[in-house]
Amino acid sequence: MNEARQKFSLEFMRIVVVIVLALLLGFVITAMVSSDPVDAYRELLTGPLPKITINDNGDWQLRGINRFGNWLEDSITLTLLGLSIAIVFKARQFSLGAEGQLTLGALGAGIVSLYIPAPFVIHIGLALLVAGFFGYIWGLIPGALKAYLNADEIVSTLMLNIIAIQLYQFILTRYLKDPTAGYVGTEFFPESAILPVVIPGTRVTIALFIAIIAIVAVWFLMSRTPLGYEIRMLGANRRFAEYGGINAKRVIALSMGLSGILAGLAGAHLSMGLLKQLTLTLSPNIGFEGIVVAMLARNDPKFVPVAALFYGYLRTGAQIMERSSDVTREMVLVIQAIIILFITAERIVPLVQGWWLHRQSPEAILDSAEAKG
Amino acid sequence: MPQLVDMRNIIKVYPNGVVANRDVNFSVERGEIHALVGENGAGKSTLMKIVYGLEQPTSGSIIFNGRPVKLQSPHQAIDFGIGMVHQNFMLIPSFTIAQNIVLGHEPVKGRLLDTKAAIRITEQLAQEYGLDVDPTAKVEATPVGMRQRVEILKTLYRGADLLILDEPTAVLTPQETDDLFDAVRRLVAQGKTVIFITHKLIEVKEISDRVTVMRHGEVTGRVQTAEVSEEDIARMMVGRDVLFRIEKPRQQRGEVVVQVKGLSYVSPTGRPLLRDVSFQIHRGEILGIAGVEGNGQTQLAEVLSGLQPPTTGEATIGGQSVLGRGPRHVRQAGVAHIPEDRLTNGVALEADIADNLVVDRYYRSPFARRGAMSLRQVRRHAEQLMQKFDIRAAGAEALMGSLSGGNMQKVIIAREFSADPVLLIAAQPTRGVDIGASEFVRRQLVEERNKGKAVLLISADLAELLTLADRIAVLYKGEIVALFRSRPDLSEEELGLYMLGLKRQLPEQRE
Ligand SMILES: Nc1ncnc2c1ncn2[C@@H]1O[C@H](COP(=O)(O)OP(=O)(O)OP(=O)(O)O)[C@@H](O)[C@H]1O
Ligand SMILES: [Mg+2]
Repeated sequence: MNEARQKFSLEFMRIVVVIVLALLLGFVITAMVSSDPVDAYRELLTGPLPKITINDNGDWQLRGINRFGNWLEDSITLTLLGLSIAIVFKARQFSLGAEGQLTLGALGAGIVSLYIPAPFVIHIGLALLVAGFFGYIWGLIPGALKAYLNADEIVSTLMLNIIAIQLYQFILTRYLKDPTAGYVGTEFFPESAILPVVIPGTRVTIALFIAIIAIVAVWFLMSRTPLGYEIRMLGANRRFAEYGGINAKRVIALSMGLSGILAGLAGAHLSMGLLKQLTLTLSPNIGFEGIVVAMLARNDPKFVPVAALFYGYLRTGAQIMERSSDVTREMVLVIQAIIILFITAERIVPLVQGWWLHRQSPEAILDSAEAKG
Repeated sequence: MPQLVDMRNIIKVYPNGVVANRDVNFSVERGEIHALVGENGAGKSTLMKIVYGLEQPTSGSIIFNGRPVKLQSPHQAIDFGIGMVHQNFMLIPSFTIAQNIVLGHEPVKGRLLDTKAAIRITEQLAQEYGLDVDPTAKVEATPVGMRQRVEILKTLYRGADLLILDEPTAVLTPQETDDLFDAVRRLVAQGKTVIFITHKLIEVKEISDRVTVMRHGEVTGRVQTAEVSEEDIARMMVGRDVLFRIEKPRQQRGEVVVQVKGLSYVSPTGRPLLRDVSFQIHRGEILGIAGVEGNGQTQLAEVLSGLQPPTTGEATIGGQSVLGRGPRHVRQAGVAHIPEDRLTNGVALEADIADNLVVDRYYRSPFARRGAMSLRQVRRHAEQLMQKFDIRAAGAEALMGSLSGGNMQKVIIAREFSADPVLLIAAQPTRGVDIGASEFVRRQLVEERNKGKAVLLISADLAELLTLADRIAVLYKGEIVALFRSRPDLSEEELGLYMLGLKRQLPEQRE
């Protein structure tokens, strides 16, 4: 128990250190490219927060609630995608397939929303189910190919992304498109299939609860079920897992399938919550962001929402900075990339720890070690 | 004599809070063979990794050749003439022996590796130090004994004056051990200094000049080897008297439960590694498998445990055919397996002890019920086994990778013994395990037999086989060439003749 707490706080410390260092570096870069770096950086750092203004009469007003909403909306997507990738990484597999799974998930949700009439709650439930199922299939395929035919999953997931996106665009333009609209997109979904908003003034819908349920579900799966155990052991040492009687092939396929479910749900969040229709492009390149979130959270479902909120904040702040300062989109992406670099630089924290230990006297070291053990 | 290495007040605390060395003073004189002994987890490997620059001491100083040094990496240690052969070898399996030896300091012709020069260098080194190796053989295709010699030659090639050997004999046959000792003596005669870690006290007596004993991270004694007996050393290690004898009551042999018929295995590269192996094991019987390493023992264990499908033949456990359907099926038929290669098969280093202890049973009650696993049960199970098998670690949640070599082995032993098997396959079960724990394992094996289990004991330690086994089969080139009933007049020498293929029984002579 104690050890778990200690691990948790160590992990938390690690994230904080990484973030602070990354932000400092980000500022240095901003200072080099902006004529007013302080202002630009303030937009990045505080942009997504709502602002309270109080006028002379003492009335207060909340402003910027939609930016706040953008942050949360993005964080929901990132949470689902981060969980999706965390499962795959835990099994020590790799997947670049979230984009395709998400696209087909959105497609499935869209078809159910538009063509299968049902009453309110059931309609949503059905659409989510189909979205998850489409994602599952699109994850299971590369998983099975890897497990049984030893097909490299990096290649196969990328190829399946292309197939999924082309398929989506084909079905959309050929069958689902609203002919009266001036662009390629479906009609808006009926009210019964739109996720209800929970924070007025934003597009933060009950997808928030779906994300929370997903976190708990993935946490439960990974740490409290036999399948989760199999995934963890497969990831830790495949030969050991097989020696213990675990069917490694089945577990590889399943882990990628399960990961697809979450990406599929992210697709449902995009279509049924944010867009309320299907459009030609859903949310370009979001598919790969799950990898960043999963890495930042060290593949631990408990940390995925924290990492997603942080990364979502950064993404939203970056958009705001891009809009309201002279820092270009490219530089904004550079700052984001620096954070990824910091995460992968795993040795930073042990270095700090080692330095701290070396400064102490032998007695103090033994004492503190003894107290811990 | 001048001191070559003098370590003072070394403290090592691992990042997870384990204190591996507490205020250790350790010194070695130039030109001596110094044995370092102690129970599993006493901190021997850690101390040596510090000399070798692989771990940094949390505090304390190292004086090498009269000068204080700070070793930040093995590179620096090598520059000082310090070389180490690790408990777990670190060779590249797909490279040839010559390539492995020159790795890092390759002779080049133009910009390419000069293969001929590498082979020449290897041959010269081998000749000079009397360590026989085949320079052009791939490491993966060579027996462990040779790999060991390669490791030693590699450090010598890099100019080591001080050679640290971490449990070098754990994987060797008696003959190979003798050869190694001859080589070590030659090295010392040429002015080298050797530190030697072992759990076999007989070896300490045989080869070392002085012994340092460690216990719980501290040095508990340093003596001239000639002045003490094995029992004395054992007492310093364990803190109490150690019994070296094992009580083995008369066998109560039951019916046949294991039937192996016509088992053959051909490797993917087409080498026949098992040829028409047949035997039976009764309830309440330990069948020992003797043989020089690399004569099919590994494959026999892997096939019988379901890790490899046999090329032909079959095996039944209690009448039920078990092979060809994977390890889960074999385990459910009642087979437990202590694997020879513990790091690749037996444990997951990145997982914690508790998880490592349930890999064959996590899906069953009480660990899993109605689809959910009970962490409490998993932890309690781990705590019980850790206590029963005296596994020394920070706790059930300690990562496997943070355990000492011997404690890892104990985790495997705990899991497989507690599986309550019909047949227990034990491959080198006491390898790398300290004396106290070895006695424990051996007693447990006999205990299992007394309870009516069938035990297949594969061991390179002939003395162990002769004390424990009820019958002994000798494997030579994948074939059973002899099968003896164990009796007092059966000697290691006699077995040796069969192991080397110099003698073989006729089928009707088998017992
Ligand atoms: N990398 C590590 N991280 C954390 N703890 C470690 C690590 N390596 C070793 N330890 C711990 O330090 C202690 C000493 O380990 P060490 O490997 O030095 O023992 P040893 O004397 O070589 O034992 P053995 O005879 O079993 O090889 C053990 O308690 C072990 O669990
Ligand atoms: Mg050791």
